[in-house]
Amino acid sequence: MNLEGRRYLVTGAASGIGRACAVLLSRLGGSVACMDKDAGGLAETAALLEGDRHHAGAFNLREIAEISAHLQTIANSFGKLHGFVHAAGIPGTMPLKVLTPEAWRETFLVNTESALALTKAFQNRNVYAGESGSVVFITSVMGIVGDKSNVAYAMSKGALISVTRSLALELASKKIRVNSVAPAFVRTPMYAKAEQVWTAEQKAMVESLHPLGIGEPEDIANAVAFLLADTARWITGSTLVVDGGYTAR
Amino acid sequence: MMETRSEGSTVDDHYTLITGASSGIGREIAKGLSGQRRLILNGRDEQRLDETRQACSSPERHLVWPQALDRVADTQRSFTELLARHQVRVSNYVHCAGTLKILPLRSIEIDHALEVLNTNFTSAFALMNVLVKKKVNDQKLKSVVFISSIASQFGAKGFSIYAASKGALDALMKSLAVELAPDVRVNSVLPGAIKTEMTKSIFAKPEVEERFRRDYPLGVGEPEDIVHIVEFLLSERARWITGQQLILDGGRTVNITA
Repeated sequence: MNLEGRRYLVTGAASGIGRACAVLLSRLGGSVACMDKDAGGLAETAALLEGDRHHAGAFNLREIAEISAHLQTIANSFGKLHGFVHAAGIPGTMPLKVLTPEAWRETFLVNTESALALTKAFQNRNVYAGESGSVVFITSVMGIVGDKSNVAYAMSKGALISVTRSLALELASKKIRVNSVAPAFVRTPMYAKAEQVWTAEQKAMVESLHPLGIGEPEDIANAVAFLLADTARWITGSTLVVDGGYTAR
Repeated sequence: MMETRSEGSTVDDHYTLITGASSGIGREIAKGLSGQRRLILNGRDEQRLDETRQACSSPERHLVWPQALDRVADTQRSFTELLARHQVRVSNYVHCAGTLKILPLRSIEIDHALEVLNTNFTSAFALMNVLVKKKVNDQKLKSVVFISSIASQFGAKGFSIYAASKGALDALMKSLAVELAPDVRVNSVLPGAIKTEMTKSIFAKPEVEERFRRDYPLGVGEPEDIVHIVEFLLSERARWITGQQLILDGGRTVNITA
């Protein structure tokens, strides 16, 4: 897993899985452009990166119409990209009876539509380096199996898994591979927030769903790096489930 | 954060068992893993098995275990004896043993069907059964990879018994992943068509080449592609991956237009 000479964009890089991905890619020799709406968290991530080849800039993916121009700006200053990791995501945990169209659209916008807009911008020859292209979406096991009170999130991640398959076929001729990594519960700030509202019983129940225990952001980053690097040269359209056995049960 | 140590570390005391190592993908995986690991090479043909050993890095470090896997009781006995005789333990197991004859249903003799099931599937069950016995392997088993096939998930003419054997292998993998967690991780790799010494001449036929060009968005696979994914799954980098079927097929199975 050697990423020397490669440039990658990481969205959601201010915390959790996005941060772990940015750090690992930098350690493997890659150059990383970090993106997040949280400028403070982004600065913290930038300080953790190995080397000084990197770039960090605040951007809100909800500005979907601006994504194309923004990636062009990054490519101009940082260099053309070999790929990106879409780790930005928001939860949508709400039972159907209180879920509103505004809320489910918001989840779908950040988790799914922005991924499509990012890929559309990335595959442009002014942005894409033209070789060894690899895109990894962070999806979720909730896009594969069911989860109560989580329909908005599950829908957004399930759709992203579908995006993975179709774009893999469409972009193969441009030498761009498209894959996703589907985690179960991972110790991220998003998880910590959810944990706060759980009873001790609920917490024990969630933990028991993972034969290998709750995951760490680094576990996901390792799978992402494997898919970005030439080690996965022949893998496209796949969803790599990294879930401590959550879906094997 | 993670350490890179696990990726390049040499396992000295613990062996990696590779079944089906006398040819094809098994031989390629053996060659690929031999630099970092001590191997137990299994195959039915002793001479070809030794050819594999000679093609490995540091041939003298590896053991050969010539044994056909279609008779389950013999397999278990012979494997248990091998571990005792050499005083070795197995921490990793890659099951590549597989036999495939493309035959229409009406032409499959029942004895052939049972031989395919035993070699491809039952032997994996039998070896796992031995590898988790405390007296035999001292709870050293850590990570297991079954080489399955995309045929376990999708239909193809003439593949019935082969596909069934791989589907059974995947079902075994999932149950063992849950039963043996958190001590042992178990996963399957589902490859599409990979170019090996064994398949090279078949793939070179114009009609096959043409079909593969149409079906495989990224072309056919190289042996190193499967070596990389097996290495990754056996390593600490995959410490939170268990019970999964990893598809390795250059986009073949998402390509419904093929």
